[in-house]
Amino acid sequence: MKKRIISLLLSISMLATAGFTSCGKKSAKSATANDPHTIVIWHDKEDAVTDVLKKKLKTLEPDVKVVLEKKSDLTESLKMVGNDPNSAPDMYIFAHDKIGVYAEMGILEPITNLISKDDLSKFMDSTVEAATYKGKVYQMPLYYETLLFMYNRLYMKDEEVPKTTEELYSYMKENTGGGHYGFAEQHSTPYYATVWINGFGEKILSKDGKAKLNTKKVKEALTYHKKFVELQPGETEYATVNTLFSEGKAHSTIAGPWMIPTVKEKGMDVGIAPMPVIDETQKSLSPYMGVQGVQVLKNAVKTKKASIKKVLKVLMDPDVEIDLAKASGCAPAQNACYDQDEIKNDNVVMMMKQTADNAVPMPNAPEMDVMWTVLGNLMTDINLSNKDIDESLKNAQAKADSLIKSMK
Amino acid sequence: MRKLKKYLSCLFVFAMVLGLLFPLQGKVQARENKEEMSLIYANVPADWTNPNIWAWAKDGKTAFDAWPGEQMNEDKNNSGWYYMYIPKWANHVIINSGELQTKELELKEGNAWLTVKDKDNTEISTEQLTKGDLPEYVKTFKVHAKVEDSWKDPKIWAWSAPDGKNAFDKWPGKSMTKGEDGWYTASVPEWVNSIIVNGNDGDVKTTDVKVDPAELWITVKEDGTNELSYVDPAKANAPKIKVYVKAPADWKNPNLWAWSAPDGTNVFTTWPGEALKKDENGWLVKEIPGWVNSLIVNGNKGKVQTKDISVKKGKNVWVVVDSKKSFKVYYKEPAIKDDASSNASSSKSNAAPIVAVVALLVIAGGAFALKKKSA
Repeated sequence: MKKRIISLLLSISMLATAGFTSCGKKSAKSATANDPHTIVIWHDKEDAVTDVLKKKLKTLEPDVKVVLEKKSDLTESLKMVGNDPNSAPDMYIFAHDKIGVYAEMGILEPITNLISKDDLSKFMDSTVEAATYKGKVYQMPLYYETLLFMYNRLYMKDEEVPKTTEELYSYMKENTGGGHYGFAEQHSTPYYATVWINGFGEKILSKDGKAKLNTKKVKEALTYHKKFVELQPGETEYATVNTLFSEGKAHSTIAGPWMIPTVKEKGMDVGIAPMPVIDETQKSLSPYMGVQGVQVLKNAVKTKKASIKKVLKVLMDPDVEIDLAKASGCAPAQNACYDQDEIKNDNVVMMMKQTADNAVPMPNAPEMDVMWTVLGNLMTDINLSNKDIDESLKNAQAKADSLIKSMK
Repeated sequence: MRKLKKYLSCLFVFAMVLGLLFPLQGKVQARENKEEMSLIYANVPADWTNPNIWAWAKDGKTAFDAWPGEQMNEDKNNSGWYYMYIPKWANHVIINSGELQTKELELKEGNAWLTVKDKDNTEISTEQLTKGDLPEYVKTFKVHAKVEDSWKDPKIWAWSAPDGKNAFDKWPGKSMTKGEDGWYTASVPEWVNSIIVNGNDGDVKTTDVKVDPAELWITVKEDGTNELSYVDPAKANAPKIKVYVKAPADWKNPNLWAWSAPDGTNVFTTWPGEALKKDENGWLVKEIPGWVNSLIVNGNKGKVQTKDISVKKGKNVWVVVDSKKSFKVYYKEPAIKDDASSNASSSKSNAAPIVAVVALLVIAGGAFALKKKSA
């Protein structure tokens, strides 16, 4: 099975490489492919993040020159050129959830071949777990993100913040009406739905890449969740829900940390609180955790190992993660950062740390691509089309099994 | 997480399409949060009861939704003086009370004390004419109430529960001002979370109504039962209108941005709005809610745009844009001569050579076939 996936990916890669190399525009890489002192890093980050990284990487010059190259289509580009040393970057900075795809393609170098076990032990266990695929660690974590429970203090006072989901439900019943909502979430988009499924102790994809949708726990989670959905708007999209919250139509929400600057800009006194505990399971609502970090391309290690190790070493400095937290609200991946006052006093970062204690690393297996689609349709069937839950789960399981099988 | 963001970005595009189904969410509630405010005091003659303030900027932007504006607060420590905080940019005001009103008064920057002698004579001072500390600025929100005619002189009583802090000195509370749309309006402090609307000096009233501190509309029946909404019912029930546009040919993929002024309710969630689609007559068209009174046509992903275009509410409108600075507005379809400057016409003119070439090929092919047949 694995060989078939790899051969398919390689074929795509070769075709794409041919296509890419015929194009007129050259990336920074093509000019520096054989220069062991120049490292090209692809990323998709905002300026606030890259400014911090650039400043630190500059300290390596003139010994090593690092070129940070922003790629909006990073994941697809890597699939296309990951095997071509003339076109691929030497390293890339991205979330951990694509590691499985690239590991299966055979283009990633295990990070443990480049940093010591002692160094790796400095990172939070959950971030290293996220970076691990089939027993190998492929990423040096930099920071992580989780969804957060946020509330508008104009409406929801600190003492009213629900500690349990039943308290949340009572609050919703009391404060929903006339176009305002006590709570609004992207209830039928898969990433947000997994907050509830994880909280019921289920993982929708097993470690060996099998779909787990038609299970007792998923049924319990989605059945319980539906009563919350009924007190929310029918729309479940990113813009709609975020607008409801940011424009003062929803008292509380579950959203990413990237939402905070937007609502603060609008003058909202936004509060952040721990995820409510599900009364039925006594576990918190559990979002996925996304870990952003550095991955190294296998081809680059052949010719640039020394320089790559220097880059990793310099980015391992806890000050980099602290600066990233200050610049962009990123939660540091290294334990030591949380001893620093600058981090301890950052409410958003500390709440992400607290949420991360119960968060589930987002699966990094290639099969997860299938699961997003199938789970999205399942949520639509149950929440928006009011289809029978047993039948919907059965159909979703069959669909996921079929799609995963055809992947292989 | 990146995958998620990518996934969400797809959903975001889809959500924009749904924007019209959910048009009332774009309220720019934060406007007041970031504005600098000026304190306006008015001393009015004794027969000017419950004076209101109407305020606007030179460009016509108004500080209040509808005439006669907002009822001013009585300063208990300075007899005869009333005050109100208004946005700093609103430097034109009229003080009014029923049929009485001042002339347009132009203010200098900062706080102002207006001594109204009569409707034609008002002295304006930037020196403090009242005694004691100036009142603290308290954010407020508007309560609109529609009551039966039998409810005379509607008032609002407001407080914070459960601590019981009252917004007004004594029952039955603050008078509500009747607007041209028939709704009575009053502002209450943002810390309020409970209200009672009453009439006939408190003899008729609603029950306690728990509210969010956000602009709201409450429809009260004769028996005091009521329906609360945070969405302006007039906007919610307004029929849709169509906007027809001709845009300059070099404005790629023209979009429409639409909103209601002065409250700032947007139709679409994000700039540059939504795409205009060409109809069979060559007009670029978009259907939007009928409560819209302001438009911007833009192109090239919002990089070129018109100025704000004021339009009448509830009417289909035709907008012919010649350039960023030049446009014309019609309420009946104008007879526009197609030329190269419009998208619609340019599309037609671009198509013409293609049609001609195809026609020539058909003719040539036919001639060849006839020739071959005859041979």
